[in-house]
Amino acid sequence: MNVLVTYPERCVGCRICEQWCSWKHEGQVNPTKSRIRVHRVHSKYLNIPVTCMQCAKSPCIAACREGALRKDSATGAVIVDEEKCIGCRRCVRACPYGAVAIDKDKRIVLICDLCGGEPQCVAHCREGAIEYVSLALADRGHRAAYVETVVATMAAETKDGIKATGEGGCQ
Amino acid sequence: MALKGLAGKILRVNLTSGSITKEPTPDDVFAGYIGARGVGAYLLLKELKAHTDPLGPDNKLIFLTGPVEGTLAPGANKITVTFRSPLTGTYSFSLCGGHLAPEVKFAGYDGIIIEGRADRPVYLWIDDDRVSLKDASHLWGKLTHATEDAIRAELKDDAIRVACIGPAGEKLSRFACIQSDYHREFGRGGAGAVMGAKNLKAIAVRGTGSVEVADPEALEALTEKVYGILAANLKARARRYYGTPEMVDGTNGLGYWGTRNFSTGYFEEGHNINAANMKEKIFVGSMSCYACPIACGKVSLIRSGPYAGTMIEGPEFESTGLLGANCGVSDLEALVKAVEICDIYGLDTMSAGAVASLAMECYEKGIITKEDTDGLELNFGNGEALVALMEKIARREGIGDLFAEGAKRAAEKLGVPELAMQVKGQEFATYEPRGCKGMGLGYAISPKGAHHMIAPTMGPETAGDGSKRFEYKGKAALVRETQFLMAVVDSLSLCSSMRFALGLKEQIDLYCAVTGLALDEAGAMLIGEKITNLERLFNLREGFDRKDDYLPSRMLKEKMPTGPSQGHLVELDPMLDEYYDLMGWDHEGRPTENRLAELGLAELWREVR
Repeated sequence: MNVLVTYPERCVGCRICEQWCSWKHEGQVNPTKSRIRVHRVHSKYLNIPVTCMQCAKSPCIAACREGALRKDSATGAVIVDEEKCIGCRRCVRACPYGAVAIDKDKRIVLICDLCGGEPQCVAHCREGAIEYVSLALADRGHRAAYVETVVATMAAETKDGIKATGEGGCQ
Repeated sequence: MALKGLAGKILRVNLTSGSITKEPTPDDVFAGYIGARGVGAYLLLKELKAHTDPLGPDNKLIFLTGPVEGTLAPGANKITVTFRSPLTGTYSFSLCGGHLAPEVKFAGYDGIIIEGRADRPVYLWIDDDRVSLKDASHLWGKLTHATEDAIRAELKDDAIRVACIGPAGEKLSRFACIQSDYHREFGRGGAGAVMGAKNLKAIAVRGTGSVEVADPEALEALTEKVYGILAANLKARARRYYGTPEMVDGTNGLGYWGTRNFSTGYFEEGHNINAANMKEKIFVGSMSCYACPIACGKVSLIRSGPYAGTMIEGPEFESTGLLGANCGVSDLEALVKAVEICDIYGLDTMSAGAVASLAMECYEKGIITKEDTDGLELNFGNGEALVALMEKIARREGIGDLFAEGAKRAAEKLGVPELAMQVKGQEFATYEPRGCKGMGLGYAISPKGAHHMIAPTMGPETAGDGSKRFEYKGKAALVRETQFLMAVVDSLSLCSSMRFALGLKEQIDLYCAVTGLALDEAGAMLIGEKITNLERLFNLREGFDRKDDYLPSRMLKEKMPTGPSQGHLVELDPMLDEYYDLMGWDHEGRPTENRLAELGLAELWREVR
């Protein structure tokens, strides 16, 4: 089973993922109908893609009193039963990532369905800011990034150490 | 006729009376002039009375999007504002990227027309179909970033898009810009001053709708095709990697990069402020406008020194040229700081750089002295003084008050009009006309003064070994063609960066898939010609003609002293004659009755002249 992995540090905020998500699902480009949203933190020059993380113990499903949410056994995506959903927004509040949206016209919730296993946001992200990888390997990218940080920190410390000695800091 | 791709409404806001009305979008005008720039030129000519005071209540700010905005189309993110410029007195427009344009469409509007003058500071709040004017007294005086933050906080929504002015616009600096999304702006021509004069601090927009597309399947296929073209194109890839400063080495390397107030076209220290050096020293990430697969916006961070902690999006190529090379400044950190000051106070970095270089030349020539500058040593190359001068201009303090009037007015006041590198009062862009003749003609005939994007001919002119840039043969025709092409691109509201990789065909195809109209390249170029003539007619009505299609005498009489374009001048008049001929204009640059009739503009001209 594959899951979505996002890399905010790679995201540039073009919102092409939002475009394709709403286009493929709703036949229109409309950010409020997208199941992935890019949030820009202007003052920090950050763009954060927010979407369903396919949690193992989906709090959204647990919060739903109508039985409108279920997990697709093939993809692991949370599927919304449009007949059963009453748009109460309990799942919106339950989601720890703010990944559940509301369709203001249909008055039901929008949750990433992984496009049936071919997520369009991933297919169209040129920055590699969203990946669709096997659950078993989903942590590797982040581990690599962490290792890179450690290496950079250690390199800087060594350099500073040499510099301090060179300037006679030990005397 | 219901045109697909349009939101269907135009918002008209009269600040004097406080009335807010929604009008149906004039579909026929959109069909005839595509959108944005084209429709703006038409509406301004039609709605604005002759000789309207640019800073008076009767001037208008006509914000317009294009039909492809808010659809899947790649690079569809520009919004234009059309107005009579307080800097030049001419017709003017400027384009802003970022995320404002699609938001306006999503809110249900193809454009916003602002008229009149509020009696106290206000801001316009567009929340889908709920539109209101809100008090902005508490925002007056705030810097642009702080204004955006304050409005988002006040309206309790981080995703609201804001276009606002800073103190420079409030104080009517004639080259004040309108800032949006922190680092995207309606830059040239002083739209920020018009907004300031109207007491309008900001426009805030939230949209939750969408626009309908005529042929979704065709649009989807075309969009995928465009992604492919952009990914493969070398120029687009360079821009993606380095941002617009990728042009520094090419421009400087051929010696047509305006340096030290355009006294020459080659900056010996250019390598300090080129893309490679920026990439290595200051770039820390990228920011993209809406729907753009290029993401040319580069985030810069200054890590040490007096400006440590300064973070901006940029510097863009034009800012690098005008605040950098043209001021002789190769200090990357000072350059970034100067751009930041322009951004947060709301000044056009290009005019600001041109004005600073004028100040520096005046200082070196003894026309202004240390006494006038409060002790600033305004020599070329002094980055620290540049930063200090920017602050003064932004606040209209001391000598900054004079230079906030723009290069032309400042130079006239100092008794040295020939030192202002401008056309019709609009300061030069960074290309040196003596080293690239077509750009010289483009500056001269531009309806909004020396603007580089009216006819950006530098690509074809520098192709091959680069020697074509000195030729005169074919330049008038090249400028004419490029001018029509750009009128179309700007009206489509696609980012002009798309044009490096995409032909007119692909862009028009996107337009057709969205609107359902049939338009071919020839038809589009004819619309480009009509728009060009409309813009000319507006200026003609204001008294502009051949006498205003000039270049400063430095370009015409002083041979370029150094660099790869050494020894060159611009012989403007023969190019101008040829250009007028090709346009079907008379010797004074006035469109002939015949030509106007052929273009279907004769009746309109009779009506508005």
